[in-house]
Amino acid sequence: MTTSDMIGSVMVVGGGIGGIQAALDLAESGYKVYLVEESPAIGGRMAQLDKTFPTNDCSMCILSPKLVECGRHPNIELLTYSQLLDIEGEPGNFKAKVLKRSRYIDPKKCTGCGECTQACPVEVMSEFDQGLGTRKAIYRPYAQAFPSTFTIDKKDRPPCVQTCPAGVNVQGYVALISKGKFEEACKLIREELPFPGILGRICPHPCESECRRRLVDEPLAICDLKWFVADKVGTMPPREKKAEKGKKVAIVGSGPAGLTAAYYLALEGFQVTVFEALPVIGGMLFVGIPEYRLPKKILGQETEVLEQLGVEFRLNTRLGKDISLDELFRQDYGAVFIAVGAHRGQRLGVPGEDCAGVVQGADFLRDLNLGNRPKVGTKVAVVGGGNVAIDATRSALRLGAKEVIIVYRRSRAEMPASDEEVEAALAEGAKIQYLVAPVEVIARNGSVEGLRCIRMELGEPDASGRRRPIPVPGSEFTIEVDMVITAIGQVPDLSFLAGSGISLTDRSTVEVDPLTLATSRPGVFAGGDCHTGPGIAIEAVAAGKRATESIRRYLEGEDLRQGRTLEREKSENLREIPEGEARKPRAEMASISLERRTATFDEVRLGFTEDQAVREASRCLECGVCSECLQCVAACKAEAVNHRLGDQLLELQVGSIILAPGYEAFDPKLKGEHGYGRYQNVVTSLEFERILSASGPYQGQVLRPGDKKHPKRIAWIQCVGSRDTSIGNGYCSSVCCMYAIKEAAIAREHRPDLDLTIFYNDIRAFGKGFEAYYENAKKSGIRFVKSIVSGVKELQQSKNLLLTYVADGQVQEEEFDLVVLSVGLCIPPRLRDMAERIGLNLNRYGFCQTDEFESTQSSLPGVFVCGVFQSPKDIPETVMQASAAAAGSSTLLAPARGSLVKEKEYPPERDVSGEPPRIGVFVCHCGINIGGVVDVPEVVEYARTLPNVVCCEENLYTCSQDTQDRMKQQIQELGLNRVVVASCTPRTHEPLFQETIKEAGLNRYLFTMANIRDQCSWVHMREKEAATEKAKDLVRIAVSRSRIAEPLKETALAVTPAALVVGGGVSGMQAALGLAREGFEVHLVEKEKTLGGMARRIFVTLEGGDVQAYLKDLIKKVSEHPSIHVYIGSEVIESSGYVGNFLTKIRTSSGEVVEVKHGAAIVAIGGEEYKPTEYLYGKDPRVMTSLELEEKIANKDKVVLSAKNAVIIQCVGSREEARNYCSRVCCDQAVKCALKLKELNPEMNVYVLYRDIRTYAFKEDYYRKARETGVLFIRYEPEDKPRVQSGDKLRVEVTEPSLGEKVRIEADVLALGAATLPPSDNRAISQIFKASLDENGFFLEAHVKLRPVDFAGDGLFLCGLAHGPKSIEESISQAEAAVSRACTILSKKSIQAGGVVSSVKLIKCNGCGVCELVCPFGAVKLEYNQRLGRKVAVVTEASCKGCGVCAATCPSSAIDLKGFSDSEILEMVDAL
Amino acid sequence: MRVSYYPGCSLEGTAREYGESTEAVCKALGIELEELEDWNCCGATSAHSTNDFLSLALPARNLALAEVIGLDLVVPCAACYQRLKVAEKKLADNPLPEFSYQGKVKVKHLVDFCAQEEVLRQVKEGVKKPLAGLKVACYYGCLVVRPPKITDAANYEDPQNMDELMKAVGAESVNWSYKTDCCGGSLVLSRPDVVRKLIGKLLDMAREAGAECLVTCCPMCQSNLDTGERGLARETGRDYRMPVFYFTELLGLALGLPGAEGWLKRHLVSPRELLSAKGLL
Repeated sequence: MTTSDMIGSVMVVGGGIGGIQAALDLAESGYKVYLVEESPAIGGRMAQLDKTFPTNDCSMCILSPKLVECGRHPNIELLTYSQLLDIEGEPGNFKAKVLKRSRYIDPKKCTGCGECTQACPVEVMSEFDQGLGTRKAIYRPYAQAFPSTFTIDKKDRPPCVQTCPAGVNVQGYVALISKGKFEEACKLIREELPFPGILGRICPHPCESECRRRLVDEPLAICDLKWFVADKVGTMPPREKKAEKGKKVAIVGSGPAGLTAAYYLALEGFQVTVFEALPVIGGMLFVGIPEYRLPKKILGQETEVLEQLGVEFRLNTRLGKDISLDELFRQDYGAVFIAVGAHRGQRLGVPGEDCAGVVQGADFLRDLNLGNRPKVGTKVAVVGGGNVAIDATRSALRLGAKEVIIVYRRSRAEMPASDEEVEAALAEGAKIQYLVAPVEVIARNGSVEGLRCIRMELGEPDASGRRRPIPVPGSEFTIEVDMVITAIGQVPDLSFLAGSGISLTDRSTVEVDPLTLATSRPGVFAGGDCHTGPGIAIEAVAAGKRATESIRRYLEGEDLRQGRTLEREKSENLREIPEGEARKPRAEMASISLERRTATFDEVRLGFTEDQAVREASRCLECGVCSECLQCVAACKAEAVNHRLGDQLLELQVGSIILAPGYEAFDPKLKGEHGYGRYQNVVTSLEFERILSASGPYQGQVLRPGDKKHPKRIAWIQCVGSRDTSIGNGYCSSVCCMYAIKEAAIAREHRPDLDLTIFYNDIRAFGKGFEAYYENAKKSGIRFVKSIVSGVKELQQSKNLLLTYVADGQVQEEEFDLVVLSVGLCIPPRLRDMAERIGLNLNRYGFCQTDEFESTQSSLPGVFVCGVFQSPKDIPETVMQASAAAAGSSTLLAPARGSLVKEKEYPPERDVSGEPPRIGVFVCHCGINIGGVVDVPEVVEYARTLPNVVCCEENLYTCSQDTQDRMKQQIQELGLNRVVVASCTPRTHEPLFQETIKEAGLNRYLFTMANIRDQCSWVHMREKEAATEKAKDLVRIAVSRSRIAEPLKETALAVTPAALVVGGGVSGMQAALGLAREGFEVHLVEKEKTLGGMARRIFVTLEGGDVQAYLKDLIKKVSEHPSIHVYIGSEVIESSGYVGNFLTKIRTSSGEVVEVKHGAAIVAIGGEEYKPTEYLYGKDPRVMTSLELEEKIANKDKVVLSAKNAVIIQCVGSREEARNYCSRVCCDQAVKCALKLKELNPEMNVYVLYRDIRTYAFKEDYYRKARETGVLFIRYEPEDKPRVQSGDKLRVEVTEPSLGEKVRIEADVLALGAATLPPSDNRAISQIFKASLDENGFFLEAHVKLRPVDFAGDGLFLCGLAHGPKSIEESISQAEAAVSRACTILSKKSIQAGGVVSSVKLIKCNGCGVCELVCPFGAVKLEYNQRLGRKVAVVTEASCKGCGVCAATCPSSAIDLKGFSDSEILEMVDAL
Repeated sequence: MRVSYYPGCSLEGTAREYGESTEAVCKALGIELEELEDWNCCGATSAHSTNDFLSLALPARNLALAEVIGLDLVVPCAACYQRLKVAEKKLADNPLPEFSYQGKVKVKHLVDFCAQEEVLRQVKEGVKKPLAGLKVACYYGCLVVRPPKITDAANYEDPQNMDELMKAVGAESVNWSYKTDCCGGSLVLSRPDVVRKLIGKLLDMAREAGAECLVTCCPMCQSNLDTGERGLARETGRDYRMPVFYFTELLGLALGLPGAEGWLKRHLVSPRELLSAKGLL
């Protein structure tokens, strides 16, 4: 590839702390970054944690500024809620496909105010709170999430909605009912169904048979809920009609199909006339359904709305008799919808059918419903098994029949009538004879005397899928009855269509196109029973809607078919039914008494009570999560919600890719013995983090989930899902020991009376500061038990937990109130899938495969990796590795650096000096966040009265784009020279407003913010008046400060594109090489005569890597690189200057002093091995350090290799009072040597005497291998160290604590795992660069978690052993990280200095030097001032961070912090 | 429904009531048990711990017999089940030339067989006398579900099949954590001290969970608990009065089968008092 094809952008996959760090480093080094994150917000796991070890910093507090910095960076494009699908191309030029999932919210409009969540009725478990709390379907994962844009969690449409022929949004109205929002629910139903009261009573609810609640207990009573809400709300005015279109539509038939079409066509603006043959409106709804099921009153109420819409009804008008189709068209009807139903009963076709006393069910019901009281017999037979049969039966009973027998030819299972109806009929006294069919009506004197029947049996299924009834020969019998009602089905009466040009089907129904309902005659459509044969009302409603759309298209000249389908959408991706969803019985509706039921036509069922309805609705499983109830649309004042927004497929060109997708916690259900998921009070460590968190589900109270009681005894079980080959996770997760200790320590801070026990395997406190943290935890009373818990049992009364474990050689059982499982770090299947998609190699545990000397390089060239996806690690190591990965990308793309970043152009800054203050004040409603509490108009009125305020406005959202434009316009038009915004918080919004006024030509420091949300409306929610007063106070204070605000100057200082690297070991050389490859000049200073440092003594790594070959290669590359100046045998003697412009003096081997200029410096001066005074070291030649042992093994030393017994003692000089830290690498070293000894001499007995074996991450495999190979690991307690005596053999004696037995070994060789010490010249270098040391003498980074390679002073970085003990792999990684960090400076032409910085009033300064002492950044120094003739404080603006410590400390008030000067502060105080 | 049936020796001796109730319940449910003709010892006695060949050959012969019939083999005894299941798995990879078994028929424990949907529905429909108010702790013991790679039990930490059956007949099955803990049945003679400790724990925890009786599906568990209870009561002063049923006995009782009283008479801890108080006898 030529460098011109190289793309100067990088895609970072994963928005956790690793991804954020990599993105920031690259964006600051001149690359465009796409940050792709699967969840709706960046922040990753770190956002979920409560505190961080070992400093107990609040995780969110330290993370939050990073989120804002990353989110607002002009060179970082956030692609949240997005997924990397595929990549192709080559290093330097990749094409990456990214799926950007729809949030259904326009991020440009969403202001993050959160009103939508208040309106949303759907509550599901919160992933962020690990299922311990809930969130809404429209949500933001957590309050500080970035971006603050909300997201709608939408799955497929739920089965209930998909099943409803009319597409009524069932989940939506059920959700609204569950929240008591009845009117909203009713309105939502009416969107798709104008007659909820009718359908709520009579619908056979196909939706309920699909309801997934049936998988838990019983389906929801959906239909009854519709009934409830229709009655509760009553009639509603129809939604607004569209403008009249001046076109006429005729509808023939006023049944459910006709009425529905009339309703929607009228809404569309058509003039609708309904022709009805009967004297009443409603068709079958009126004449087919008895009063006790559907009161005429309800029917009347719900159809009244049609008249309101201007629909004209012509009753008693039969098509074909009173009016013809041709006539309709002649009368200017543009289209006709035929919906005449199927009212004609089918004949039985048996002898005697025509005699008196035999009536058609449909006729019988029509007669009854039209207000007559048909005569019934004493004993009635009803033939048929459908709803008409049941209606006839129940009506006959009400009309005085003594006995009614239903005769049905199949069995109950095949009966088409709905179960409820059948049950009700039986309860009212009806009888049913199954598997019986009539063969003859026996009549005497023309009236019925009996019904002759035959028994049937069921044969094979027929076309309907039901088993076909077959007569049993010779089984005839007679039922004595005096009336027969036949109800075996109806057909439409379509005689009127003869000669109309409309075709009929074989079944004598109207033939239509099923998709459009168009008949064979243009402009004529047909639907409902006259097309389908007798069906259910909701299908007729659906037909009415389908016809509406067709008729609209027809009349407006659109294609009838385009975009329409009969196919059902998929509903596969539905919310999983929560495990352990409690069984809740379905609500039962009350009925009137049985006496009333058989004596009157009063409505039988009474409807739900409000309480019942709400409870029933709450049973909904919310299958689609978002119910599309559209409450959010109504609530969003910014009009940001759009339920139709689709996913986007992006194809991005990038030069390189960094994978930082993180991990998932191990699912402890896979280790069933701990009872997770079954026992309420067994939680995972991540859940416990949420429990501890003040923003968590319990507001930071330590409660147990089962009963929300305070636990007293809490146990941690370590290594759940780690170091466990039984579940395929042989590795150590590296972080669990420390987080468990931290969780215990923080829990103790919450409640000092807690009993805390950690059951562990080895405590792996190997990181910087960890050992001391562990020791402190022990001292604070946290109990550490070295034992693997074999089982957890739950006590049923207390729900406490019994833990079984072995300690002191005995099986113990102990009771706890809460158990925390320290779950390991795993790579979830979705990441393994991603790896497969892009062709990435994973290791045996599913982590990204890397090489130990290049731990950020994946198997795909140009694709780098960092964080837990590479190997289990904690935050600082992730951050370090992220920077290292960024260095990888940056080195690769160095030729294209700066090609895709945009420099923003600003108008020239307006000089406002001398102008009187002209202040514009903008007060924000923040939706209702502020406006709902504070009387914003009153605050605005008040602000207008303040001096110098030229204009004051209120805005719904001051941060919205249109308000920003307005602000710029006002600045220009009114000549504003100061701006005050009273709104949310400067934390997230101050930079935005500063930017805006800068774009309008004002100095950004002329902006002042009044925090009237976080510090006013949110905290005084219930004291509206007082809050308004306080808001006025805050605005007044801001205005008075604004009045005297001055523009601050920022100056650009040029950067020297060269670096100094101190130390020529692995880290120093790697850093030098990295910087040189990025295109910078490097000065590498090494005090020894050769390069290589400590690595010269290491031959292989634990993993088998050849260190000497690597080192040789590295030295060669460094020595040969033209941009690297190597100073061997040299030392740094002095350094001055500031970030971007340092000047350092080097004394070379020849004694000459050289001065070099550089923009950044990296300290990599290594460490040293401890020379033990213990265990006869130096006194007996058979005693050596582990490094010396390695040298001897490498040199094939005979004494060592022929030893019978070899002993290695660990923790020699480490983890002691004097050096209270773990040297981290000695365990690997011991395992490595032990394995090597066993390999070279399998007969040798190798003993490792240890305290804890700390083979973290994948090194655990080698520890296991060593044990399997026969290396004996014997633990000792620090209070009872091994004893060594010299003699013929070395006599080593040690007490094994769990056995309590002494072990004696006659050793031939004794190796000591000696401590790693800080470098001997640490103090000198520390002085030269003003870089602090920690309590152990290692160099102290700026922040142990988030700035692990930076010094507090800008432009200075550290890496390698000088920072703390670490492996070669980690040193290399940290060196690369330092390169990346240094590049953020060196790649810039200039850096900005000034702004909010300290300034010294020289006259007042008496040169006491307190400021120099307190400045954490080395930005203040005393310097001799010629003019004054004395030393005074001088601020290096480039180094000053504006913290204000010097200003606050100066005894003579000689230092001011610009923008926060004493006068400004006092002005604000005075204003108060 | 027809299945092959392997009763094993216990069901003809110490666990006769288990055998009788199994046969009666199956008959009532319309399940035909086709007992293997000329079945032999499963090997759960000394054979499996002393002779590797016998440990496989004994069950293999039974499996071969079942395969001739061609129906899945239902086994009520947990120990037999375990041996037969081990053989089923082992023979899949290493068939024995002596006995032809192709893996066509599978071994099922009686509890799992009864808890399958179809049978469970029949049980529900057949209930004549619901065991309303009877609080039972279902105790599966160690052999029915473990080790999962032999038994294929999905829920080996918290099995549910017996619980489902008990719920189907109207009993209240309590939640407890000791469903699959060992009762020490194999140490009855050699380490009675260990056995006492183990059954003491089970009885204590069943009581703590609110159970009035234990329900088992293993002849060893039943006899170990039933015989051990009185001695333990003497020793600890805790009067458990905790009857230990076979699940088939309770099914039989609920299905209203006439033989139920006869089976229950064989128990050392008499269930009469408990069942009478509930109106079930």
